[in-house]
Amino acid sequence: MSEKPKLAVYWAASCGGCEIAVVNLHEKLLDVDAALDFMFCPCLLDTKKKDIEALPDGAIAVTLFNGALRTDENVEMAHLLRRKSQILVAFGSCAKGGCVPALANFSTPEQLLNTVYLDNPSVDNPDSIIPCGTTGFPGGQIHLPGLLGRVKHLAQEVDVDYSIPGCPPESHQIWNVIEVILSGDLPPKGSTIGCGALTVCDDCDRTKQEKRITAFRRNYEFCPEPEICLLEQGMLCMGIATRSGCGAPCTKANMPCTGCYGAPEGISDQGAKMVAALGSVMDIGDTTDLSEDEIAGRVDAFLAAIPDYAGMFYKYTLASSTLGGKR
Amino acid sequence: MRTGIYFCNCGSNIAEKISATAVVEAAASFPEQNYVATVDFICSEDGKLQFEESLKAEQPDRVVVAACSPRDHEGTFRRCLSNAGINPYLMQMVNIREQIAWVTEDPAVATQKAIRAIHGAVCRVEKQLPLEKKQLEVCPDALVIGAGPAGMKAALALAEAGRTVTLLERTPFIGGLPVRFEELFPALECAPCMLEPLMGELLHGEHAGRIELMTMSELVEVTGFYGNFIAKIRQKPRHVSLRDCIGCGECVEVCPASATNEFKNNVSLRKAIDFTFAGVLPNAPFLDQATCIRWQGQECRACKDACPMGADVINLEEQETVVERRIGSIILASGSGLYDAAHVAGMGMGTLQDVYDALQFERLLSSTGPTGGQIVTKAGQAPRTVAIIHCVGSLDEAHKPYCSGICCQYAFKFNHLISAKIPEAVITHYHRELVLPGKEAQTLFNHAVRSGKSRLKRYGSIADLAISRDTNGSMLVSSEGEAFPADLVILCPAVIPAEGTDQLSALLDVSLDSSGFFRELHARTDAAQSSIRGVYLAGSCREPMDIQKAIQEGMAAVGHLLSGLQPGRTIDIEPICAEVDETRCSGCHLCVSVCPYRAISFDTEHNASSINAVLCCGCGTCVAACPSGAITGHHFTNEQIMAEMEGVLK
Repeated sequence: MSEKPKLAVYWAASCGGCEIAVVNLHEKLLDVDAALDFMFCPCLLDTKKKDIEALPDGAIAVTLFNGALRTDENVEMAHLLRRKSQILVAFGSCAKGGCVPALANFSTPEQLLNTVYLDNPSVDNPDSIIPCGTTGFPGGQIHLPGLLGRVKHLAQEVDVDYSIPGCPPESHQIWNVIEVILSGDLPPKGSTIGCGALTVCDDCDRTKQEKRITAFRRNYEFCPEPEICLLEQGMLCMGIATRSGCGAPCTKANMPCTGCYGAPEGISDQGAKMVAALGSVMDIGDTTDLSEDEIAGRVDAFLAAIPDYAGMFYKYTLASSTLGGKR
Repeated sequence: MRTGIYFCNCGSNIAEKISATAVVEAAASFPEQNYVATVDFICSEDGKLQFEESLKAEQPDRVVVAACSPRDHEGTFRRCLSNAGINPYLMQMVNIREQIAWVTEDPAVATQKAIRAIHGAVCRVEKQLPLEKKQLEVCPDALVIGAGPAGMKAALALAEAGRTVTLLERTPFIGGLPVRFEELFPALECAPCMLEPLMGELLHGEHAGRIELMTMSELVEVTGFYGNFIAKIRQKPRHVSLRDCIGCGECVEVCPASATNEFKNNVSLRKAIDFTFAGVLPNAPFLDQATCIRWQGQECRACKDACPMGADVINLEEQETVVERRIGSIILASGSGLYDAAHVAGMGMGTLQDVYDALQFERLLSSTGPTGGQIVTKAGQAPRTVAIIHCVGSLDEAHKPYCSGICCQYAFKFNHLISAKIPEAVITHYHRELVLPGKEAQTLFNHAVRSGKSRLKRYGSIADLAISRDTNGSMLVSSEGEAFPADLVILCPAVIPAEGTDQLSALLDVSLDSSGFFRELHARTDAAQSSIRGVYLAGSCREPMDIQKAIQEGMAAVGHLLSGLQPGRTIDIEPICAEVDETRCSGCHLCVSVCPYRAISFDTEHNASSINAVLCCGCGTCVAACPSGAITGHHFTNEQIMAEMEGVLK
């Protein structure tokens, strides 16, 4: 039995990118191993749920919990790991704000299952079997976790000590957090850690000037100038309304920020803030003598460049937003 | 924290719908500590006294006044708080009269609404902070841009009021457009004579010492803000000292070089050193480097040697200079020009001889013009037929959509002046609309229609008109199948902003309207102010207008200026303004362009935006726009607004 503090990394409704970010610590993983007993990670290690259940409560020093809560099983694991962990961290955008899985909150579970198993050109399902919960078929029964009515982020189900944003969190920030935790000098409970307090603009080296956007353009439409603010070039870069700390790798690669670090400190709703900011700098031209309908027409034409508002503005934060999804 | 709630019955205005007793009862159950006092008319002298006495006795930490609109009496009640020794920003008004009592039928519902609104205010006011007005030292001096009627009148009136004025003029002379005209509508006064007293006072009158006239000068940069602007002015070399020259013209006589003269419709020549036109003020010539042979490499100092006033009057070595002036306010009076009629197809402008636009024809009429005031065709004949075409490029979506409002009046003035000089001339007015506003304009119109020599022809679209010359060289104006001969054609094009208006707009951040004129702060109620505090608008740079209106606008701008900045007095800086938390600003620049008052600049040293509290009007646009939450709107913080909403809803 190791004397080292125990570290768990768990995935709920997620893509596995957060695990890859952990593995991307590269040789620093040896330092992690030296300092911590990395004992649970379904993606990498063989430890099972029953092993966790067997631990005394609070036996795990730190759990990095990634993924949103989509199923009964996700919720069960969230409660189990909360109980067994001294520090529970919402790790990554899914656990922090619902991220891409939460975009499903614009549909009911029935609509989702219908799309996945029935109404889909690549599906061949003559018996219209929808596997969910307990499903019987000629060979017997299968048991799958049931879907929740809505996708939740971790803090909507259990008490969370800290959140680390990112889709996935940048590896250098994961290391920073591990160092802080090892130092024992912990920030106040509830803090968002492993990030900065400003916006991605602070990380981004492009020159910024006054903004007056005459048209939105999407990244497949043109090759942006490498030195100039992407938003000023009409690209819908979420950097202005996204928390700093990632180092702006996307804008450095000529791609707009999609907002994965979530809202900056003190902002409760990233999408609403981005919409307010864009609305302030959209230049629809001189509207003197135009009728209200004509002005509305200009705005509509301007906004037609955004095909998916929720996917654009709430890709990472729908579950934690004021909007929340369709009710 | 204890909040004093003052409920005004406003006679029966509020009391009829909202029960004070019910409000008192409800307030007793608010979780926030409070007391309620009911007053009959809190804005009356007795009411205010009662309010102040109560505040002094109760010493509340915060105050809520449930009464009328804050637009009515917020100022009144803030002063009451100050008198009672309480910071005036620790009060919140609830408009239970206009927004509840007057618009709610059922008294029970009205009372419930009022209780919720008052609770919202109680929750909000707890979050309010004491704010202090700051004072700022200001410079009372002014910069006036443009020495036409509006600018001259403004500069003179300011000097009379004891202000130091810098009067900037792009051309070498003052008087603007009308000083080039012979006679003016509606009373056929001689234009230079009419303006002469004003120009004389400006140049040599009792208060001229306070006016620094800078001709051939342009604004190149403005920094600072209301009360403390620094203007950089580029002065081109005139080579003739305005102070020392007496205008004798000896230098002109001896000058060996000449070029065409636009003030004589490029018909006659001007010397390299010459007056712009006879009788011009200031009465001093200027040297045109493009014509002078010294600038073509030849050695000539004939003018300098000929000057009887000494060697210092003409300075051939004079260079362009950039000077700085500190001023508190700026009056824009940069005037207007005419739309180029060559843009309107079929008018023959620039291609047919004897086709003039109105400004060129004014010079033809002028005794200082190319023909000394004689109306003759290029062939030297007095025209027997004249066509005057109104609305050229006006009321026309393809050109300028607006009516300039002055053209019909000067067109009938032309009619009068032509028929006075050539009584047998037949004059045809082609017009789209006839616009003759005011109490005097009809006189010249009546004269024209009663003369028996005038015709009025209305056209539907300027495309229906065509001016051409037939094979014998006679000019014809054809319209809807008819054609009339015209020995002379005068075009009345749309009035447009003067050249350089765009640059001034960019320099001063004063926005332009869709026609390119300076945009007013409010087109009806604040037409003399721009959206930039301390920058005023006067005359036809704002909209096409006649001399009377331009001069009145000059005075209107002076009124704003004099009441706004006074020597020895500071200006108040309103504490309800926005402020950037530098430590939270990521430098995205988004707020800079959203500010309608240009109050936000970017501080590159700290990589953060910065808001000038003098210019900020507290509108909150930047607060809403700031995507990183780095801007706080004082007195309208998110915390205060959320507390109010929660207070209303809980």
